[in-house]
Amino acid sequence: MEQKLAEGLVDALHAAGVNFITYLPETRLSEIIPLLQSDPSFQMVPVGSEAEGVSIAAGAALGGKVVASYMEGTGVYVSCYNILTVGVRYGVPMLLLVSYVGSFADRRNSFLYVQRGTKLIPQLEALDVQYQVIRNGEGLERKVKDAVRMMNSLKQPVALLFTEDFTL
Amino acid sequence: MIRYDCFEWLAPQMTDQIVVTWLSGQRVEWAHLSKRDADLNLGSMGNALAVGIGLALALPHRKVFVFESDGSVLLSLFNLPTLANLNPPNMAVFVFDHQAYSGTRVSYPSETAGKADLAAIARGSGIEHAVTVTELDDFKKEATDALNQSGLRFVVCKIEETVGHRKITRSNVDLLETKYRFVRYLERTEGKPIFQGRG
Repeated sequence: MEQKLAEGLVDALHAAGVNFITYLPETRLSEIIPLLQSDPSFQMVPVGSEAEGVSIAAGAALGGKVVASYMEGTGVYVSCYNILTVGVRYGVPMLLLVSYVGSFADRRNSFLYVQRGTKLIPQLEALDVQYQVIRNGEGLERKVKDAVRMMNSLKQPVALLFTEDFTL
Repeated sequence: MIRYDCFEWLAPQMTDQIVVTWLSGQRVEWAHLSKRDADLNLGSMGNALAVGIGLALALPHRKVFVFESDGSVLLSLFNLPTLANLNPPNMAVFVFDHQAYSGTRVSYPSETAGKADLAAIARGSGIEHAVTVTELDDFKKEATDALNQSGLRFVVCKIEETVGHRKITRSNVDLLETKYRFVRYLERTEGKPIFQGRG
């Protein structure tokens, strides 16, 4: 991802009021990590599994933080139990920042990733998690704010799936 | 050591500490003995420790107690290195280890009935104060220290498998009601909005 796009995403998260992020590094969006770490308005929590990333974020949300959990698309599969049992069933607002690996517009797509991409949206729909696919930086701040408003209104996890320009 | 005896002693000691519990007999017994809004009964295995971490990080000025079990910790062992590295000084984890997967109809040995030692795994993950207690007096000492001192504690409490919780009438308070009660309590005591009607 180009640096300017990474900066745009971080600015959008800041503008939307996100202040607590769990993360497990991956390849597509990784440029945002040092930017997030260098901004003291974000409490950054590295995790060893997307499953605990979701549950830690849920705890922080119940404690008053505006939370996001950043993961590769594969992390949705890893954390679906936590998304369901804590996020969906308990009704906890959280923003899932997901790199949409293996999607049509994933510029690094290959046989390694494609199965994970084609089944990601059915997985989210099975969990009844609302989502939007983000392809480029156009209107990024508005789209992130929309997602945060949706998660707070719904009191549920909401996912943003990043592909195309974000996968370069 | 009997879990109910531990809870019966600890419940009256609690003031404004947050308590996160998970599932099964532990949840039933604690909910029976403690009627505080600061109790968060999650009702799912493998999540209490991580949710407790999130609460401890979000509210560093409050003490967070997490009640776990052997089966629940084994389900989410990746929590332990994360907990060690984050090292929240306001968090105390008590793992009630009865060495069994115990439900209403089954009892089958867990890995801690074999060779696994959860306190050793926690120490190996980097948690400095990770101990095992087998007697009620030792539990009381660890819990008293957790109430009065700062510093991450991970205490494995070896308990007997009991079925007393099956005789306790189950609460009709569902998960959403528990969540709202807990969050509204935090809003009152922290003096800030958490869940708002608008996005």
